[in-house]
Amino acid sequence: MAWGALIIAGLLETLVVAAMNQYAARSSWRPIVIFSASFVGSLFLLQFAMQTIPMGTAYAVWTGIGVVGGTLVGMFFYKESRNWKRIMCIFIILLAVIGLKLLEG
Amino acid sequence: MNKQWMKVYIAALFEVLWVIGLAHAGTFLEWLGTIIAIILSNYLLINASQYLPAGTVYSVFVGLGSIGAVISEIVFFGEPFHLLKILFILLILAGVIGLKLVTDEEKKDVNKEWHGER
Repeated sequence: MAWGALIIAGLLETLVVAAMNQYAARSSWRPIVIFSASFVGSLFLLQFAMQTIPMGTAYAVWTGIGVVGGTLVGMFFYKESRNWKRIMCIFIILLAVIGLKLLEG
Repeated sequence: MNKQWMKVYIAALFEVLWVIGLAHAGTFLEWLGTIIAIILSNYLLINASQYLPAGTVYSVFVGLGSIGAVISEIVFFGEPFHLLKILFILLILAGVIGLKLVTDEEKKDVNKEWHGER
């Protein structure tokens, strides 16, 4: 349950970055609404996860998933590079997240 | 010391403070402090990213933030020191920093940019 909340919190963080970039591209109210809602939602879920998962672990997983999500969005929707170094970093992060999950149980 | 980098370090400090707040705040004042720290850390980070390479800024920020959070939970909140756990956290950090630095490097060649940070 805590891990599920933590992963969704990380994915919402991706949405925050995506909405922010939308807003930077053309200022309109919609990205602001998405940005605020996902930011608050993400922190709420992170807070919930931290009731069970130690904060250092929860924070690292939260940022890791957020950054991986943001990079994947960039690769698939904004034609950012799919350079092997970037893909390797994504795998390293996911591997470490799985390792932490196995450790914390 | 460079003023823009100073902003990044202070942003990381507030980041650690709100992470602690999110995990441990109980009273109204503590929650208020947590919310203020969230706003300040994001504001300073975004502000500094306008003057410095965004990926490098985020790498330093997230590195200081995660290490700060891990050290605080061990020093102030009695979390046991668990080597394997810390190695995995460092592995996440390595991946995040790697991604951000590769992205900065590529942006020198391609001028199309998307990666504004949160």
